[in-house]
Amino acid sequence: MSVKSPNIRPYGDSAVLIDYETPHYSDEIYNQLSHLAERLRQQDKWIEIVPSYKSLLVVFDVTQMSMKDACSVIEETLQSLANAPQRSGKIIEVPVVYGGEYGPDMDVIKKASGLSESEIIDKHSGQDYKVCMMGFIPGFCFLSEVPAILQHPRHDTPRAHVEAGSVGIAGWQTGIYGLGSPGGWQIIGRTPLTLFDPSREVPFLMEAGDTVRFIPSSKALF
Amino acid sequence: MIEVLNGGTRATVQDAGRPGYRHLGIPQSGAADKFCFALANWMAGNRWDAPAIECALGGLHLRFKEATTIALAGAEMWAQINGMNVKNFSAMPVEAGDILTLSFARDGCRAYIAIAGGLKIPEFMGSCSTYLPAEFGGYEGRALRTGDILTTSNRPREAPRKIPKGYAPQLSRHIVLRALPAPEWEMMSAASRRHLYVNPFIATPQTDRMGSRLRGNKIQTTATRSMTSSPLLPGTLQAPPDGQPILMLADGHCTGGYPRALQVIRADLWLLGQIAPGSQVSFRRGIAENAPKILASRNSFYGGLIDGFAF
Repeated sequence: MSVKSPNIRPYGDSAVLIDYETPHYSDEIYNQLSHLAERLRQQDKWIEIVPSYKSLLVVFDVTQMSMKDACSVIEETLQSLANAPQRSGKIIEVPVVYGGEYGPDMDVIKKASGLSESEIIDKHSGQDYKVCMMGFIPGFCFLSEVPAILQHPRHDTPRAHVEAGSVGIAGWQTGIYGLGSPGGWQIIGRTPLTLFDPSREVPFLMEAGDTVRFIPSSKALF
Repeated sequence: MIEVLNGGTRATVQDAGRPGYRHLGIPQSGAADKFCFALANWMAGNRWDAPAIECALGGLHLRFKEATTIALAGAEMWAQINGMNVKNFSAMPVEAGDILTLSFARDGCRAYIAIAGGLKIPEFMGSCSTYLPAEFGGYEGRALRTGDILTTSNRPREAPRKIPKGYAPQLSRHIVLRALPAPEWEMMSAASRRHLYVNPFIATPQTDRMGSRLRGNKIQTTATRSMTSSPLLPGTLQAPPDGQPILMLADGHCTGGYPRALQVIRADLWLLGQIAPGSQVSFRRGIAENAPKILASRNSFYGGLIDGFAF
């Protein structure tokens, strides 16, 4: 396995960003990042360890540790990583009502791809996705790459409100909004599942490493 | 106990927040201006991180059911007790039945009301802080409203503490933040890189605990609109394609897909909580090597006063 070594650089004065240069999603990079995150978590030195598709943000207490030391500890940890272990999470079926009032941006994707709504639904739900990272808000699931023809940029100005359960596309990413929130993704459908519920014993329905399978469903679900 | 007679614009229970869960999409929350929050608690004789009330913009009215000591810090909101003016950045005794009213913020955005002994609020994931978008923490996961009853610890009253001269901050409607270039700085056009550090922005009405949308000279970027979502922190300035930047706050999104232009240094993060709609916000180029020194000197100045507190 060969993954190019990442950039390790300061992010502000009290965080370090470990960043891989890659235009696309890569399983190898993602696996290495989650492995690194796991190892750093065992060290008990860091305030926050936030993995994403191709970068990892580590927040440290600059009153206890210098930027230089933080970078070198991370560098050493990265060097000491053996091959990343394969993770196998659970498979979660997610019913989705595509289009109409539940997918206000379906027309945008139709226009851009030249596909009909049912072709888009077939493509989007026709493959499994890996949960790569959890949210910019609680419960948001960032999933692995969507088929090339469905890829579409975010809105220039984020919407003031996107409903909880909305399924969206941003570039090659697809994801599910765990909560109602402002957001810039192209929304093509919605699931009635509650991805995050603080009153549940396990508040999160899924975690990084799980597999998501979208099941096209009818409006009757809502 | 304290009865809420009027919740005002938006008042929430906050403490030092819940760091360590950003990988789950849960921001640290906590007092948006941790410094004024800590001062209020100190004056009330509390630990600096005891749960207190954060009132954004104003309008909060409270009735105290027992005699206690309270402290006010943060934005000047022309506070009165039973119609008599009381001083901001001060602590005072209140009697059973006294009514505290806050008017509208003049020079900042948020005022903190600490009560001797702190508020009794159940913890969620290690903190009493309210996180409104997910409706958890604080008082039933929501902002305070008329009729709410807050439980206090009924600690015997002690003499209010006075902030020594020179320790209370001067707030204003012009916020100046020292910031370092963030990861996508090189994606900003040359002109944008120049004016980001020169021209002030105005905070729009879309300003809350999650972030503040700023208005000013458009930020031009070379970024594609399909950037991969990457981590953010409070104090990160994002530049969406419409050119109007978004400054992230205590409840801000944990990741985002717009280029990151600037990161405010830790010593200045407390000021983010005092950005009100209409405030002027300027960024000054920080020097990376100096940021830890600025932080250390601020911490040694206030650390001697407020036990355990750090910016």
